[in-house]
Amino acid sequence: MEKKPFGCLTVPGLITAVLVVLIVIGVGFVRGGMLFSPGALSAQAGSALGSVTSHADLSGKCTACHSFFWQKGTMADRCLQCHTDVAAQLKDPSTLHGDQLKKKPGMPCRSCHPDHRGPNAALTDMSMADISHAAFGYSLNAHQKQTDGSPFICKTCHVNGYLKFDQTVCVTCHQQIDLNYMKSHLQVYGENCLACHDGIDTYGHNFDHSRVAFQLTGKHTSLDCPACHSGARSIADMKSTSQDCNSCHAKDDAHQGQLGTDCGACHTTSGWTPATFDHAKSKFSLTGAHATLDCTKCHLNNVFTALDTACYSCHAKDDAHKGQFGTDCSTCHTTTAWLPATFDHSKTKFPLTGAHTTLDCTKCHINLVFTTLPTDCYSCHAKDDAHSGQFGMDCGTCHSTSAWLPATFDHSRTKFPLAGAHAGLECTKCHINNNFTNLSSACSSCHADPAFHAGLFANISCDQCHNTSAWSPASFNLPHPNACGEGGCVNHQGATCRDCHTVNLSTSTCLKCHSSNNPGDGGGGN
Amino acid sequence: MLSKNKELWLSVLAAIIITGIYALVVYSTRAIPAAASLFGHLIGIIGFLLMLMTETLYSFRKRSRKGRWGSMQFWLQFHIFTGLVGPYMVLLHTSWKCNGLAGATTLLTIIIVISGFIGRYIYTRVPRSLDGVEITDPGAVAQVSLITTTRRTLSIWHAIHIPIGMALFVAALIHIGAALTYATLLR
Repeated sequence: MEKKPFGCLTVPGLITAVLVVLIVIGVGFVRGGMLFSPGALSAQAGSALGSVTSHADLSGKCTACHSFFWQKGTMADRCLQCHTDVAAQLKDPSTLHGDQLKKKPGMPCRSCHPDHRGPNAALTDMSMADISHAAFGYSLNAHQKQTDGSPFICKTCHVNGYLKFDQTVCVTCHQQIDLNYMKSHLQVYGENCLACHDGIDTYGHNFDHSRVAFQLTGKHTSLDCPACHSGARSIADMKSTSQDCNSCHAKDDAHQGQLGTDCGACHTTSGWTPATFDHAKSKFSLTGAHATLDCTKCHLNNVFTALDTACYSCHAKDDAHKGQFGTDCSTCHTTTAWLPATFDHSKTKFPLTGAHTTLDCTKCHINLVFTTLPTDCYSCHAKDDAHSGQFGMDCGTCHSTSAWLPATFDHSRTKFPLAGAHAGLECTKCHINNNFTNLSSACSSCHADPAFHAGLFANISCDQCHNTSAWSPASFNLPHPNACGEGGCVNHQGATCRDCHTVNLSTSTCLKCHSSNNPGDGGGGN
Repeated sequence: MLSKNKELWLSVLAAIIITGIYALVVYSTRAIPAAASLFGHLIGIIGFLLMLMTETLYSFRKRSRKGRWGSMQFWLQFHIFTGLVGPYMVLLHTSWKCNGLAGATTLLTIIIVISGFIGRYIYTRVPRSLDGVEITDPGAVAQVSLITTTRRTLSIWHAIHIPIGMALFVAALIHIGAALTYATLLR
């Protein structure tokens, strides 16, 4: 029996085998390695590297990328021969490629960048978890799941290549979440999302404002961000938002800038009112009754600056003195109340002393007349003048302000200085009936001629013989009308008038000393 | 009927199990397993080995007249089983793509299976002993002319089926070589 060939190893089978090999070789000649291609290469054009704009340009040229196992070098080496930019990135861990290589040394390019998956297939295929996305300036913390629950993939955001990012993608997606919000957000902050957002997403009402210098308190806490940060285009803009109250509240300033720009000096963030203004910091500290006044009592029409601090600017209408004391009320009054007031009368032309100091002002200042009052005593005391004007109008000549009495009258200034016994007399001894003027200075006006004189001295003044010390001794200095007997009166030196004139001057006797009235009786004297 | 077409039912069972595993892989990875993936390679390699067995083992048994390696009937059934399950696994290995040489190999695989069915249909027309050996005694058979026609048809079928198979294996081997060179051994 003819031995049958084994299995397929028949002549037609072997011929077919040879034919198949020849066909493969033939196609290889014509179309390169296309026969072995597991799928079309990516036709997505990138920037041209040499004459190649996409991997599809290398179709059939297997060895452009594939190195055979017996050859030196790897596929990655061939990748990097063209992709020199990536070759540079691999040396720098701060780049996406460098970071990946650092994590997985020796990792070939194709583990992330497969090809032969069709002309439009993605050239990058890697898990987002493998990418330190935050290291490249944007964390994916908040971009794990989309609103429909599906996970984010690279292409969700990187629509046109993974090394590129078009921020319109942010807008497109987020508008689907909240169209109105995004509209206003874009209007307020512009379209450069990444200038502010780093993916950690702690902005908005979740932002912990206490991390920054400007703490939010009171009504600030419930504000929307744009209330202060409107127009910010970057984090730097956010940070440089003026912390000056006025930068936001200028429009709210009820004081129209008159109180400066630091609202916080008086107001808190809890509300404009109540406000506490430390008036002590102004030129006009509030004391006494001023402290409890409503602001508007003085600050009419919201005028806060350039107010006159003079008392009179407010109190002119209150001036009981009708301007007689000038405009500085504080000279006498305190802010506590109008009364008591302290007037330093010593600064006037008429310092108050003695009983004047305790008088009510109105005792002198009748009808509240304070100026042009005469300072002479008489202007007030005319009615009190016990002397009925006889001493003139200057009471102070004799009286002090302590009291009318005691008074001191300097009689020496008069036509009749008091000497001797006159000095110790009561005034009324001479000034009978309060008569102080027109009194005669003649002795006889007070002193009657005594009987002793027997009328002999009617025409001579008392002081011819007497002095004011006492009536006696008196000294008769006139020629004695009588020779006085023996030896005359000359010889009676040392005798007093009354030694001879024992009764009166018209009679005389010698008998007081002598034994007879005859001269020369030699009685002798003592 | 079950015992008569046991190999077919077993093939269907195997196909269901393999499909189940394939579905599990698809479900867990949410992707069609790529030809070059671990699972893709596994079904490709096993499928190819089964196809290789389809080709060789039955032929070996047919030639080994002294051997006690099971009945011809069993090996035919085994041939049919591997000839169905192997190509099915290879089909799954393709990840439903048809590119270049690998695609051609897939097409050849499908063609050879169809051809196998046709061959089996013709084959069943030939009366055999219990051992599967053709009954050649014309006296035992009434319809001699029918047998003659059938045998001629079978030989024509062989003349077509074998070159297709050869083309398939050569293409598959080149595919395996290329895959090893360009992918598996790629550094």
